[in-house]
This record gives sequence, structure tokens and C-alpha cells, in this order.
Amino acid sequence: MLAFLGRRCLIAIPTIILISIFVFGLQKLLPGDPVLVMAGEERDPELIALLREKYRLNDPIPVQYAAWVGNIVQGDLGISLRTQQPVTALIAEKLPVTVQLAVMALIIALVIGIPAGVLSAYKKGTWIDWVANVVALSGLSVPNFWLGIMMILLVSVQLGWLPASGYVPLSEDPGQSIRTMLMPAFVLGTALAATLMRHTRSAMLGVLQSDYVRTARAKGMGEGTVLVKHALRNALVPIVTVTTLLFGELLAGAVLTEQIFTIPGFGKLVVDAVFNRDYAVVQGVVLCTGVAFIFLNILADATQRVLNPRMRQE
Amino acid sequence: MNDQPPLLEVRGLSVRIRGAARNLVDEVSLELNAGETLCVVGESGCGKSLTALALMGLLSDPPLQLMGGKALFRGQNLLSLKRHNLQQMRGDQVAMIFQEPMTSLNPSLRIGEQIAETVRRHRGVSTADARARALEMLERVRIPAAGARLDAYPHELSGGMRQRAMIAMALANDPAVLIADEPTTALDVTIQAQILELMRGLLAETGAALILITHDLGVVAEMADRVAVMYAGRIVEVGAARAIFEDPQHPYTIGLMSSMPSFGDSGARLVTIPGVVPSATAMPPGCRFAPRCPFVEDACGAQPAAKAVGSDHMVACVRAPLGVAA
Ligand SMILES: Nc1ncnc2c1ncn2[C@@H]1O[C@H](COP(=O)(O)OP(=O)(O)OP(=O)(O)O)[C@@H](O)[C@H]1O
Ligand SMILES: [Mg+2]
Repeated sequence: MLAFLGRRCLIAIPTIILISIFVFGLQKLLPGDPVLVMAGEERDPELIALLREKYRLNDPIPVQYAAWVGNIVQGDLGISLRTQQPVTALIAEKLPVTVQLAVMALIIALVIGIPAGVLSAYKKGTWIDWVANVVALSGLSVPNFWLGIMMILLVSVQLGWLPASGYVPLSEDPGQSIRTMLMPAFVLGTALAATLMRHTRSAMLGVLQSDYVRTARAKGMGEGTVLVKHALRNALVPIVTVTTLLFGELLAGAVLTEQIFTIPGFGKLVVDAVFNRDYAVVQGVVLCTGVAFIFLNILADATQRVLNPRMRQE
Repeated sequence: MNDQPPLLEVRGLSVRIRGAARNLVDEVSLELNAGETLCVVGESGCGKSLTALALMGLLSDPPLQLMGGKALFRGQNLLSLKRHNLQQMRGDQVAMIFQEPMTSLNPSLRIGEQIAETVRRHRGVSTADARARALEMLERVRIPAAGARLDAYPHELSGGMRQRAMIAMALANDPAVLIADEPTTALDVTIQAQILELMRGLLAETGAALILITHDLGVVAEMADRVAVMYAGRIVEVGAARAIFEDPQHPYTIGLMSSMPSFGDSGARLVTIPGVVPSATAMPPGCRFAPRCPFVEDACGAQPAAKAVGSDHMVACVRAPLGVAA
């Protein structure tokens, strides 16, 4: 397993380099000159020249790239053009917020989606299956922002059970932190749960037809054992793949959800940075997300190997 | 043949696709005596597997539906057991081996665990004892390096070895009845012979009775004490192996026997009778073999009753009993 992880990380390096070139190139290609934004209304030529010098914008592009990469390797993603804070610090501040939201949403999605999928496959063609499918379809077709607003109206405004917005760091007050994050995580999680449920259902339908499930029944195993130990375990392989793919959806959804619930996370950072042409921040965020994706994929592959003994032999 | 009541007595077992007009398995009656081997033969699609699955309570429902019948085993009707009692019976007193060793084992569980879990389930023994039993079974089915195989996954074993593991699993709780649905069809000829030999030895040791489903008459000649011939969902002839081979009465059985090059010659397939099995929707109302039968007469338009033509020999044909052996 360690050898596998090591090899996968090595293979990831060229991908990361490609992402970095892309991120760097994007800045060069995008319209709008950040220096002009910084120089303000007067556009004093001297100030512009000074800024160009300061940010080394006059160097040849490969030199700029090398310097940029050199800084990144040292943990320096540059300075936000807008707030003058180091990008690394901004990301370090916002990332945990979004990770918490994403993880809670994923847990909610898994806890709802997988059992619902298993049950509806097992009870295929009955009213349980029908209800599960109708609910999943509604979950897919209801937009996040609508569900979010409705939940704020009902749960916060009408019932006053959960706060409508805000954020408390997990380290400060774990209970309150989870309470504030519950509703956004639920809104984000349910949409994923629907996708997950439908994939779990179809994976389970296939597995339940398999000969080894019949063998398990022929051995006298109980239905619970048959469903979980024999069927679900084998259905998990495609489910893990889908969950990995859902991660992109999760991040995109997080950006929107953070806006609805005014959560100061990654999403807000990205939106603000894009609107302000704060390139260093955009670059940092894209790079960070890209690298996170690569490692999540490695994690998913590692999980697959644990689940599937046929992938383990080499 | 035997004065004792049979170990397993099947009466009028019928199975159909839910909503279909005719049965895929129609009024099947069989007897299995303790310790004997009953071979069920018939062309592909005649309902052999469905009969076996129905006895195990393993019909996929829907679409398949049990239409009636009894299967008396030690005073209980297997077909009307509550789910819990059925689960207690399966894998303990009645066990089954399937045709496809490649897909019948769970790919993500170790061989040892797949055997041990059924031992734990039925004997309530400790994990260690169940594992010890699994090892013992792997040794009894003569899997080389059994200790190492306990922790192997199915994909690490050849087809023959997997079928041995399936046999070990099925016999782990010393069942009284073993149902084997074409256990060697998917294997090489040499491996087939080894597996059959192994099964015969194990049955002799444990005294279990075997229902062996096959369409290989060579296998029948080698293994059977008694034979049931199935055609299009019905038993057309059943009896002692000797009687079936030496004095076949039903035209279908006669056709089968003549399609076999010589007794004991493994690999003979039932393909030489002209015509095809009628589809479930086009099933004739009377004798289902009538459209292919060279001796068809008016009386064949009605379902022929099973007639005893010997002490252990029943035939469902209007012509029976025949004057001389065909
Ligand atoms: N799940 C099912 N749904 C619908 N029809 C089925 C199903 N299982 C079996 N059948 C039909 O029932 C008939 C009998 O099938 P069965 O599997 O018992 O045949 P068989 O005698 O075991 O044949 P083979 O020698 O090929 O294994 C076939 O015509 C088959 O098409
Ligand atoms: Mg079959």
C-alpha cells in the first residue's frame, strides 16, 4: 500500500506542474491589468513602473514562472493585491471553514444516500423504492439556493432552532460550530445524497443479482448480512468512484451555499477575489483546489484498493 | 426400492413467471432417499435449476413465483417455511453448489471467511473454531496448501480450486442433502472427473444424499443411483439408474439414450433429438414432448399420468409400459 501511495504521489507531480503552468498562464492571458487596478484613478506612470518593478512584471515570463514556483515551494503564494495580506494566510484562514462544510455535507450525503439506495434496491418495485426515487428526484431538481432560503425561513425564522448565518470556528466552540454549519451542510448534502442514492441503487441492483449473493443466501446467512457484508461491500467500489466525482460538485455547491448562509469560507474568498481581479488569491485558490483534487483522487484509489482485493495484487 | 420414507419428498412443485399462463416447472414430484445420488437430466432450459432453486427457497421473486407443491424434509415442508426457519435450514441441513465457480464466491471476502461464516451461523461456534473447521474442510476437499488458501481471495484460485472451495463450504455443516447444479459444467474435462470423484468420496464419508443436476449422460452413468429425466418443466421419467439406462420407456429418454455414444463416455450432450423445446408461451396443453415425438398419437393431447412400470420406475407417457426394451 505504501509503495502504491508513493508511486501515485510521484505520478501526481507532473500533473501538479501542469496545473501550475496553467494557473500561471491564465494570469498572463486574462484581460485587465492588476497594476492599473492598484495604481488607482490617477494612473501615475511612475507608480505604475514602480509596481511593475516590485511585482517583477518586467522579467521574461519563464523567469517570472520560476520565481513564482520558487516562492510557492516555500509556502509563499504572494500577496493579495487588495488586502495586502499573504495569500497563504488567507487560504489557511478560509480553507478550514469550507473543509468543515464539505465534510459535514458529505457525511450527511453518505448517511442519507447509501442506506436509501440500498433499501430502494432491496425493495425494488415496491412503494419504498418509489418514494425513495421521488424524493431523490425532487432533491436533484430543487436548486440549492431555493432550499437554502426555504430552510432559513422555516428553521431559523419560524422555528428559531438553528442560526440562519454566521460561522463559529470548530476550535472555539465545537457544538456551536456544528450547529451553525448544520443547515448549510444539509442543503449542500441533500443534493449529493440524491445522486449518491441513485448510484447506490443501481450498483446494488446489479450486485443483488449476482451469483455470490445467491450463494450467501444458500448458506443461510441472514438478510442483513447478505445486504451489507455480501452485497453492499461489493457495490461500494462504484459508489466510491461516484463520491470522488461528486467532490467537484461539492466544491461548486459550497461556493454557492456559503453565499446564501454568509459563511466566510473559500467560496467567499474566490468570489471576492474574482470580482476584484485579485490574481494572486485566484491563483492560490485554483492551485490549492487542483492539488486537493489530485490527492482526493489518490485517496479514492487507495480506498478502492482496500475494498477490492483484485486491485491489490501486483 | 426402500421401505423407509424418503429423506426428501417433492410433490407437485410448480414455478412460473409471475403473470405467465403456464408453469416453467410443472407438477414436479421426486423422491430422494438418504445417502443416494439422484441425477436430474434434461436439455438446457427444461427447468432443472429452477427446481433446485425452488427447493432452496432461492427463486428470485419477482419475477419467479412458486405456484404450489410440497417438499417434505424431516417432517417439514421446505416450501412453506418461515424465512427464519428457512435460513436455519439452508447451508445446514440442505446445502447447494452452483454451476459457476468463477462468480459464485464473493470476490471481496477471503475463502476461509466464506466457509467460516456459515459454520458460525449454524453452529454458533467461536471465530477460531469456525476457522479451524474451514481449514479442515479445505483439507478434505484436497486443496493444496490449505492453510495459505484460507486467506486467499477467490480470484487467486483456479476454477477447479474454487469449485472445491464451494464444495467445502456446502459440506461444512454436514448437510443431509446436497444439491449440486451442474457443478462441473464450467470446468475442463480432466478437472470435471476429479471434482466428481471428490464429491463421490465425500458423500460416501458423510452419508449425505445428492441431487446432481447435469445434462451430461456420462456423469449420470458414473454417479447416479436414481435418475429423473426432465423435459420442458416436467418429469417425464424417473427411476433407478439401471432401469432408466437399460429400459427407457419415454420417447424422450429413449432419444437421450441413443444420443449417447456409449455409456460412461463423458461429454455426450443432448442435442441429437430433432426439433426444439417449446417456449414457455407456446407450451402444448397435453404432453409437452408431443410436437417432437415420433410416436405421437391422439391421446397425447391430454396430459399423460405418471405410470409405474417397475418397482422404482415411473413414466409419464401414454405408450408406457412398452412391451420390449427399445
Ligand atoms: N429469473 C428468470 N426469469 C425468467 N425466466 C427464467 C428465469 N430463470 C429461468 N427462467 C426460464 O425458466 C426456464 C428454465 O430455466 P432453468 O434455469 O431452470 O433451466 P435449466 O434446466 O437449469 O437449464 P440449463 O441446463 O441451461 O442450466 C428457462 O426457459 C429460462 O429461460
Ligand atoms: Mg441450470
